[in-house]
Amino acid sequence: MRVTSEAKIATRERLLAAAGKLFAKKGWDGTTTRDIAAAAGVAAGTLFNYFQSKEAVVAALMAEAFAKAQDEFEAERDDGQSLEEDLFACIYAGLKRLRKFRMALESASETIFSPLVRSSHDCAGDSIRVHHLEQVERIIAAHGVPGPLPAVTMQLYWTLYLGVFAYWAADESPKQEDTLALLDHSLKLFTGSLDGLKGAGSHERESA
Amino acid sequence: MNVNLRELMAALPEDAGAETGPSAEAAQEQMRELAADLAMRRVPINSLHRLWIVGELSAQVALAYFALWMRQGFADAETRKRRLMETNLRLALKMFHRLAYLRGAMTKIGQAAGNLPSIMPDQIADTLERLHFDAPPMHFSLIREVFENELGKSPEDLFQSFDRDGFAAASLGQVHRARLKSGEEVAVKIQYPGVARTIDADFRNLGALLFPMRLGKDWESIQAGFDEIHRMLKQEVDYEREAESLSESRELFQPADGIVIPRVYPDYSTHRVLTMDFIAGPHLAQFLAANPSQELRDQFGTKMYVAWKRIYDAHMNYADPNSGNYIFMDDGRLGLLDFGCIQHFGAEEQELLQLSQPFLDSMDSFPEFLKRATGASDSDLANPEYVGLVADAIGWLIEPAVEEGPFDFGDETHLKHGVERFFGLVRKRYTRGHPMFLYYFRSVFGLWAVLYRLRARVDVHAIFRGAS
Repeated sequence: MRVTSEAKIATRERLLAAAGKLFAKKGWDGTTTRDIAAAAGVAAGTLFNYFQSKEAVVAALMAEAFAKAQDEFEAERDDGQSLEEDLFACIYAGLKRLRKFRMALESASETIFSPLVRSSHDCAGDSIRVHHLEQVERIIAAHGVPGPLPAVTMQLYWTLYLGVFAYWAADESPKQEDTLALLDHSLKLFTGSLDGLKGAGSHERESA
Repeated sequence: MNVNLRELMAALPEDAGAETGPSAEAAQEQMRELAADLAMRRVPINSLHRLWIVGELSAQVALAYFALWMRQGFADAETRKRRLMETNLRLALKMFHRLAYLRGAMTKIGQAAGNLPSIMPDQIADTLERLHFDAPPMHFSLIREVFENELGKSPEDLFQSFDRDGFAAASLGQVHRARLKSGEEVAVKIQYPGVARTIDADFRNLGALLFPMRLGKDWESIQAGFDEIHRMLKQEVDYEREAESLSESRELFQPADGIVIPRVYPDYSTHRVLTMDFIAGPHLAQFLAANPSQELRDQFGTKMYVAWKRIYDAHMNYADPNSGNYIFMDDGRLGLLDFGCIQHFGAEEQELLQLSQPFLDSMDSFPEFLKRATGASDSDLANPEYVGLVADAIGWLIEPAVEEGPFDFGDETHLKHGVERFFGLVRKRYTRGHPMFLYYFRSVFGLWAVLYRLRARVDVHAIFRGAS
């Protein structure tokens, strides 16, 4: 029983690793579930025991990358950082982890993150959103704005985040430098919107 | 908040009543409204608001110069065309207003346009000086990513130590102190991501904004001027180019000169990151606060002029000599910073400057110079008023070099004469000229503005005769 479960985990990881490579090399359209299964050395149908769709594979890759990025961020976090700086580091760590198959994410993220698509096959997109927003709320709380935050605030955050994510996935500027600027501006906008919710907080020191 | 603009607007030449019809007045009123609006607008976000404050004065100054051109256009056009231009211009100004409001690089353009014209009232000069130390801030998380993009490593990995907060603003970026692993104290200039690439797009927009002015008399000259600004701005945000200018200029000086230009560290530099020696010491305001002796002021002033002339003799122009770019080192040496805005004179420019060289002794070559430098026609040259006004302005420019002995740059009347003569030229629309003169004059007036605040006496005559 235990062996089976370990084998399952190993197969899942093999599938994800193969998918990551294929997406990086061939993009979203150039990669089929059949290719992924073949590259991982499993039968085409076996993939569907693990993931219900190609989107679900990408969502799992993203969830994995974001979890690693979160650990990285927590490890490197410095107490002296402003809220804006913390959020920037947290978000960009996630994007960097996904950089290799960035091009595949433009199409995939449309489905994964769409509030209009709530398909039965997988809720990985939802789970990514929930995890991410929880992390963001924790960061904000650490900077003196106690939760729970108003739904509007978090919706504003998520809208900005998706905008940055979509821009980044298709960013053609050298080394995606425009995304850096867009993220910077977006976070200024967002942290500015928190002004009414907090007292003299850390990000306000910039206005001195 | 609006005082500087009002002063500047008030200082603008008034055209004769007949030329300034009611429509022109209406447009001017619109301008004032827009300008007042510009001054009052607030963005409710801290850093953006700061960016805006930086842009505000520049935008105002730029607007005022648009007004100047506008009046030139109005005086030339027929009534019907005038109406059309007025409408276009109003739209254009609105667009300019929004662009300046939103865009960093556009701010930079405003700044350049604001610095170029030859005169700056004291308060404006002071405010512009401060701008050099007050630009949109980048936090360390962003800087780390810029470093990873540019040099493949984070600042923590590259340097022994690296200050998280910048200590000065740079061309669309900021400067941080750091220490190399080999021990050298360095200043690291970092550019805001992506902003250099927006300059081309911003100039395309600017071209559209200036479109209504194409009917004006000096359109070609204005266009050439903006092309020159475009070229120089692109150069200014290319830190690799700046590194070259730094190294070239550094070679021109010996330790005995007491003039220090920072050394570049190429292994830690790219076209968006520039690592160079950190030069310790006060800037002008701090230096003056310590109430230095006249002798010390004169010594520093002389070094400034010697540095400018030495670079000029090497066919370059230190075109942005604002007070933020000078360090008054405790040991009496002068530090020169920021070599982004350096003109490189080619054969054509050198030839033109050569023609003006004999002016120190006689004005014989003046008509030829005028023809070449301003495209003056024979009938222009036969116009004694034109020739007289330009000769007058040039006479003022070379006065410090012609007068024997130390020239007192603290003398307010000299500056005032310059302002009067400049406006004399503008009022008569005699401002055409080779585009190289935009930055040439900027450098001369920039240098003089610093020397004026320093109240320095400098033997320019001796420097120009090679005796210093």
